Amino acid sequence: MKKLKLRTVSLLMVLVMFLAACSGGGSEQGQGNTKKNESNPVTDRGNEIVIGVTAEPQNWDPIDTFLLDWSTVANSVFEGLMERTLDLELKPGLAESYEYLDDTTLEFKLREGIEFHNGEPFNAEAVKFSFDRLLGEEGQKGPQYSNYTSIDSVEVIDDFTVQFKLNTPDPVLLTKLAGYGAVIVPPKYVQEEGDENFNNNPVGTGPFKMTEYKRDQTIVLEKNENYWQEGLPKLDKVTFKVVPEASTRLAELQTGKIDIMKRVEVAQADSVKDSGFLELKEVGTPTVYALRFDTAKAPVDDVRVRQAINYAIDKTAILEEIMGGYGMPISTFQSELSFGNNPDLEPYPYDPEKAKQLLKEAGVAEGTALDVYIPGDDGNFKEIAQAVAFYLEEAGLKMNINSVDQTTLISDLIPNAEAGHMYRMGWGGWTLDFDNTAYLMYHEGEQWNPSFKDEKVEELLAAQRNTVDQDEREAIFKELTEVLYELAPEVNLYQAVDLYAVNNRVKNFQPPHEDRLRLEEVTVE
Amino acid sequence: MFAYIVRRMLHMLLVVFVISLIIFFSIRLTGDPVSVMFSTGEASKEAIEAVRANLGLDKPLPVQYAIFIKGLLTFDFGESFRSGMPVTTLIMERAWATLSLALGGIVVAILIAFPVGILSAVKRGSGVDFFGRIFSLVGISFPNFWLGIMLILVFAVYLQWLPASGFDSFQHLILPSITLGMILSGILARLVRSSMLEVLNQQYISTAKSKGISEWSVIMKHGFRNALLPTVTFLGLQFGSLLGGTVIVEQVFSWPGIGTLIIDAINQRDYPVIQGGVIFLAIIMVVVNLLVDLSYTLIDPRIKTGKEA
Repeated sequence: MKKLKLRTVSLLMVLVMFLAACSGGGSEQGQGNTKKNESNPVTDRGNEIVIGVTAEPQNWDPIDTFLLDWSTVANSVFEGLMERTLDLELKPGLAESYEYLDDTTLEFKLREGIEFHNGEPFNAEAVKFSFDRLLGEEGQKGPQYSNYTSIDSVEVIDDFTVQFKLNTPDPVLLTKLAGYGAVIVPPKYVQEEGDENFNNNPVGTGPFKMTEYKRDQTIVLEKNENYWQEGLPKLDKVTFKVVPEASTRLAELQTGKIDIMKRVEVAQADSVKDSGFLELKEVGTPTVYALRFDTAKAPVDDVRVRQAINYAIDKTAILEEIMGGYGMPISTFQSELSFGNNPDLEPYPYDPEKAKQLLKEAGVAEGTALDVYIPGDDGNFKEIAQAVAFYLEEAGLKMNINSVDQTTLISDLIPNAEAGHMYRMGWGGWTLDFDNTAYLMYHEGEQWNPSFKDEKVEELLAAQRNTVDQDEREAIFKELTEVLYELAPEVNLYQAVDLYAVNNRVKNFQPPHEDRLRLEEVTVE
Repeated sequence: MFAYIVRRMLHMLLVVFVISLIIFFSIRLTGDPVSVMFSTGEASKEAIEAVRANLGLDKPLPVQYAIFIKGLLTFDFGESFRSGMPVTTLIMERAWATLSLALGGIVVAILIAFPVGILSAVKRGSGVDFFGRIFSLVGISFPNFWLGIMLILVFAVYLQWLPASGFDSFQHLILPSITLGMILSGILARLVRSSMLEVLNQQYISTAKSKGISEWSVIMKHGFRNALLPTVTFLGLQFGSLLGGTVIVEQVFSWPGIGTLIIDAINQRDYPVIQGGVIFLAIIMVVVNLLVDLSYTLIDPRIKTGKEA
């Protein structure tokens, strides 16, 4: 009798454990669109906010980095001569004005009376020092240098005037001067305290100064009291908390430990929307995803086959069903934010009949197998690949999905043309100018272009680099996108959308297109 | 005893040397750190070559290996490609977080598994035993990321008793320790149960009982102490692997540990950090093994070290 009772109790306990687990998972999903009536858990944080991020760059020196995670924080610490606003407009930042004296001489007038966080003055010497460092021995060790090779030298004209001497006209230079590597750093501080110190204790002219940095844990920014823009920043303190796991990040947000969550996953969007004190913000990014063809491999060396595959895939359905609508269709390998995007081109429509017909014309046998390589760490893309496999099967092709380590794929298989017939390619294009993307994707012999070549494309690529006349470049890009569209070197899938979740005590927060948070206007309630 | 320790230390050198060879060459089989560096930016082929030369990656492999070994002799693993920081600094920054989590996991595992295992063995075939065995099975079968997320949901989101992530205070240690300890306790409880059963069937137990010593005294003094040997071996080995193998738990709880450091480094192909991290863990593992072996002599005086054994 006693035995029986014990057994019942233990069985019950196991049952309770499973039930608890199940209900825990279920309630996270959220039902319908009605906002829950919850009270805001953040009550006593004062004039501060905490932001949950996925990672931090490990190194704050602007010339050593290439990571979006760097800009998320460092955009508040450092400033360049040019700045790009949240609406992606280019305007003078630390410079007051600029003027092209000729095709290869660019003159900047600098703002006066600005100080670095350590009290050093900002002037023409600081600008020259920053670029000498970027273009010199120190900078050449890092990944930023290659963006700025069109600059031959920077010359000091007077205390607040500098001239950039170029060795070739560079139509994208002004954008690049708003880039990571071109921010202005304090000469004395860098020289006296050394490079390793600067990696961990960055000093700039920005609205916030970094006062604490615990690697892989937290970064604390405090208000720069002497900021040159009157009345800014409005917050006293911003803390960045590194929380790599998305569900943990959401838990921190729901419990009020953080105010803004970066990188909300598509599957989490509904629970944010349902919450009574959270708001979901979406923003289009420059990042685009495609399945690129290795155009040297049969049968995708035949343009008809590549077009057929484009017709065979219902990209709209993929976006809606797998990405929850958080993504935008693209017609070429660039986002709508990119200079050179051609809005007149419609993505290849879903037309399975046309696909079959083209495959037949190209003489591709029913059941021909294609190898597709995708990175193993991207859950959404795995589903996309499976959907693509389904569509290709409908068209009479077989698809083998190879899921491999992301690093091996990008740094080894793709450059060596060992990534099958098709592979996933994601691309950022931070200059928002098709030049960089197009050149590196379609110019013969580039690192990530193992096989594509086309004379007309080469001609157009060279032509747009030879002029700084933006209207002329736009016309060239229009032609280039049309040519590329016909050649179909990839199946363009979508432009990524970033999701941010924000506690509604935070006001005036506008999510950035390219991870570069701007916090000086942000206030709290 | 002293000679034994010295001999084991020499073994350790050999182990570290072999591991240095394996790790150095195997990480260079796939991927390329410089391409990874540029994979979110934009760079021409020339720029990539220039950076490769600056990192010393254009030198022949044997030369690179020689440089690595030379540094190893002075515990200088070089500088991280990514952060520019000395690898030793990066490891030391994380050593405390890793150590506390591994210890926390072991403590939780012991607190759960010892009572469950002992009770199961003593009340063999009863409801307690049944529950104990179900518990072990469930413990072993839980994926630890899932358990971690569930604990966060219950204790951080709903009850709000404990923080969900971070590494600031003792409270932060509780949930990750439980996650790690629960998984471990499943296996440990089974081990304790079976070693206890083995011991409890011995004749000296019956003798002790017949002498009139109280039941629990027999179980703990005569039974448990003798059953401890395989358990200590297991815990020692687990402790070693916990130091580097808690990546998933570290990820879920944003714990800045060595496991995450090495995984990130592998994803970036940050060679110096991978090499330094793996060598560091190898040394720890060998040392822990040695300590486990030495602890045998404490638990069971019949075991001697050295030649006379």
